[in-house]
Amino acid sequence: MNTRILVLILLVVSALSVSIAASLLLDIPVPRGLKELAVYYVSNTIRDTGSPEAVAAIVWDYRGLDTIYETLVLYLAIVGGLAIFRVTLKTITKTPIGLTLFSKTSTKIISLLIATISAAITFHGHLTPGGGFPGGSALAVAAMLIIPVFSMYALLEKGVTSTKLVALRGFALTAIGLVALLPVVRGLEIVTNQKFYPTQILGIPVGGSISLYNIFESIAVASGFIAIALYLSIPEEAYKTGESSA
Amino acid sequence: MIEPVLFWIGSALFIIGGVFDLIAAIGLVRFPNFYVRLHAATIGAIYGAVLPLIGISLMALGLPELPGRYAIAGASFVTAILLLIVAPIGSHVLAYAAHKSKSVEWNPVVDHLAEDEAK
Repeated sequence: MNTRILVLILLVVSALSVSIAASLLLDIPVPRGLKELAVYYVSNTIRDTGSPEAVAAIVWDYRGLDTIYETLVLYLAIVGGLAIFRVTLKTITKTPIGLTLFSKTSTKIISLLIATISAAITFHGHLTPGGGFPGGSALAVAAMLIIPVFSMYALLEKGVTSTKLVALRGFALTAIGLVALLPVVRGLEIVTNQKFYPTQILGIPVGGSISLYNIFESIAVASGFIAIALYLSIPEEAYKTGESSA
Repeated sequence: MIEPVLFWIGSALFIIGGVFDLIAAIGLVRFPNFYVRLHAATIGAIYGAVLPLIGISLMALGLPELPGRYAIAGASFVTAILLLIVAPIGSHVLAYAAHKSKSVEWNPVVDHLAEDEAK
């Protein structure tokens, strides 16, 4: 035990002394002021992408291809999760009871508010900070409130099943792919924004393809997270008693 | 003319909220079992968070030179209302779950929920 603490102290002291010595001996330049790239983004974003929100423009336009691949990676992660929890509840065996009337009523109010906020985050993603991923995650939070308060069976009775959610997610991802691929038809580059998609519709700034990406990404993220939440709330007996089928 | 009044009412609410937070913290440490400790925690959430948030919105309205004061006032007022809905429900659900699972040892003088469930 004592030797481990000694080794730990030795490691910390040596790492600190090496880094202090390096910063004293080597003359490493410290960046002061904005980099050229940052200045470029600040001054040219609105002209290049039609979106006043520089973060959304960078994520979905300047490095849009990267974000589309990231979405694909998250999709594969969720597919992997679903493959592990591969069960379908064939029959709804329990009637939903849920918690008390107070909690149900307030959860109705709160989840409606959360859905509104999520829509605002998503639809204004090209104008204000936010976008598809935060908007979709906010919508998933509403479902994650509903699952413990109303019970999972209430959602299943309403027809919100994991299968449908995964199908919805597939639809949304296909739509993202189509939005990225459509400019190729007119001989433009993949993930082209302004030359193909309109900057304004009826005088409302839509930021070209950025708002479309945001909407579909929010659908994809929300349905994926809700599907995972549903799978995680399947009771343990369902796996043990074999009332479910693989 | 009304701005200083708003500012001072807001400051008073802010300080009262701090006092309630202190009281709630003392209660959380001193109270004997889960249910009364939950009561103290909810005191902290309602009087210690909702009141100061309303105070902040009044203070923001009382500062004409503050940029974006209506946004600050509106956002903190809406947050206060939301907390007013959410915080009691949170403690209600916690207390309900603790009662359902019978995980708290206590000697109640009266237990209406148990009487209702026995019916």
